[in-house]
Amino acid sequence: MRSSPSAPNALNEPLWVRLLLIGLAVVVLTLFLLLPLLTVFHEALSKGIDAYMEALVDQDALAAIRLTGLVAAIAVPLNVVFGLAAAWCIAKFDFPGKSLLTTLVDIPFSVSPVISGLLYVLLFGLQGWFGPWLKAHDIQLIFAVPGIVMATVFITVPFVARELIPLMEAQGTEEEEAAVVLGAGGWRIFASVTLPNVKWGVLYGVLLCNARAMGEFGAVSVVSGHIRGMTNTMPLHVEILYNEYNYMAAFAVASLLAMLALVTLAAKTALEWRFSRELTGLAAHRSSP
Amino acid sequence: MIDARNLRKTFGSFCALNDVSLHVAEGELVALLGPSGSGKTTLLRILAGLEFPDSGQVLFDGGDATRLSARDRRVGFVFQHYALFRHMTVFDNVAFGLKVRARASRPSRQEITDRVHHLLRMVQLDGLAGRFPAQLSGGQRQRVALARALAIQPRVLLLDEPFGALDAQVRKELRRWLRRLHDDLKITGVFVTHDQEEALEVADRVVVMNQGRVEQIGSPTEIYDQPATPFVYQFLGNVNALACQIRNGQARLGALVLPAPAYAGVTSAEGVAFVRPHDIHLARPGDGDGALALVRHVSILGSIVRIELLLQGQTIEAELMRQRYAELDLQPGQQVLVWPRSARFFLREGWEGTSFQTRAEASWDSAML
Repeated sequence: MRSSPSAPNALNEPLWVRLLLIGLAVVVLTLFLLLPLLTVFHEALSKGIDAYMEALVDQDALAAIRLTGLVAAIAVPLNVVFGLAAAWCIAKFDFPGKSLLTTLVDIPFSVSPVISGLLYVLLFGLQGWFGPWLKAHDIQLIFAVPGIVMATVFITVPFVARELIPLMEAQGTEEEEAAVVLGAGGWRIFASVTLPNVKWGVLYGVLLCNARAMGEFGAVSVVSGHIRGMTNTMPLHVEILYNEYNYMAAFAVASLLAMLALVTLAAKTALEWRFSRELTGLAAHRSSP
Repeated sequence: MIDARNLRKTFGSFCALNDVSLHVAEGELVALLGPSGSGKTTLLRILAGLEFPDSGQVLFDGGDATRLSARDRRVGFVFQHYALFRHMTVFDNVAFGLKVRARASRPSRQEITDRVHHLLRMVQLDGLAGRFPAQLSGGQRQRVALARALAIQPRVLLLDEPFGALDAQVRKELRRWLRRLHDDLKITGVFVTHDQEEALEVADRVVVMNQGRVEQIGSPTEIYDQPATPFVYQFLGNVNALACQIRNGQARLGALVLPAPAYAGVTSAEGVAFVRPHDIHLARPGDGDGALALVRHVSILGSIVRIELLLQGQTIEAELMRQRYAELDLQPGQQVLVWPRSARFFLREGWEGTSFQTRAEASWDSAML
């Protein structure tokens, strides 16, 4: 909504109310978002750029960065596959248990990450339900990389699916029907009709999912065991360094996560811009001129 | 050639099709006409293979296609909301059906290009091959959808409310254009519509449907002039339904006594007389036979004039030409002599489920038929 002082708008409040609200918003944002972000970089660079670089190329720090990358590289593709499959089922077909599936997809959002981590320990840990069997077959999931991947996958389940379900529901099934009547097979329809129609939504979901996969703390913390250089992801490594009063190094690693967040935000904004044009296009596509 | 035999289809407890049979001859254009919920779209989707009937058979050119998937039926289907692939250009939309063929039967790249451009010329969109659907008007999109459906050289062309989403002017142009196109291509076609004018203007034959059943199949003239059921009478065009008494081959509407030879054997029964507004003859009192009615309201609709009359407690509508109206010089509140030039009678018995509205609910333009 555009307005200028010379053109009064029916919904406008008096000037002092507007200034007060804007000022309040600016103060809150600065205090709670901008300042902490700046502090991260300030602290990280407090002992100079050399010390900063040194903290990053430290053996354990590098191991944590590698592990975080690995976890995200496994969790995100799995999530895309699951998200697409779930959204395709839920949005394009009617079947018994549909609302149950929709609810299941949302569970990771409603359960505290620590709880979900604990559940994995209870199921797959040494004392857990499957513990003896896993031990007998010499498989270690908990306090090892597989457990971290599993916990991360669980936490990020809703990201792609939640993004795609409303989009696919809005698009309906007519284009798919048109494709099948024209002689296209199921795979062809998915690849050349369904997927291109939701590609921006998928990218958006991937972005959010990636940010969460790299930044997840709670669930991963429970299943990781905090073994330095082995099962520490970046967020866990930051915590360990911090607890050892190694603030500079902690903030150096944290600054990487902060940069990831900034890149994600920028990319997200760019995608949203693109995405909204697609949605507008959808609206224009549906209605006649 | 399409044969549909004894099709039944239910969705939950709703019966969409109840024993519907239909024959469409080679090269014929047939309209499925009915109100929403009459089953016409379900029938079309069953013909396309997008739905499957609970029982009954669908035959294409004599071969059973009932269980054949939509993919293998080679039908052209045009959707009400076009269903163009929004991320593809007009060219790619039209080429899609050719590109997805198995390698053995797929035309060469050059052939596909030639055929798409030929089709786009035919639908008068050759200059827009590089546009995206969102950049086209509704009428243009519908023509792209038609070209896309024709690209696979379908055995039959099925159109679901093809002009329903367009505004009145474009709709009129497009349906004339569709008729011409059909005359040129001689393709067998079925289209769904709820607009009587569209059905009567475009189709060779009209199938009137109601509540999952076929009410009447016939040429546009037959459907309009000899409706088989009260429903068809009321659905096609404006009509007055008047309560009457049928006795020994005569129908009595108060003072009016009209011949009803079809009911010569009926000694006494409740009936309904259907009279089209333009079949009501009006005259000044004392000027011939008829019953007296009160002029309630006069509306001048272009070349014709619609008069609302009160006849023995029932409201009826009459339509006459401007010139006749000027001769009669009718004013609201005057008495006028009413005589139905032609009427058709149905006994109430046997049509219990049917509502006999004394005022037809047909749309405004149907009065212009």
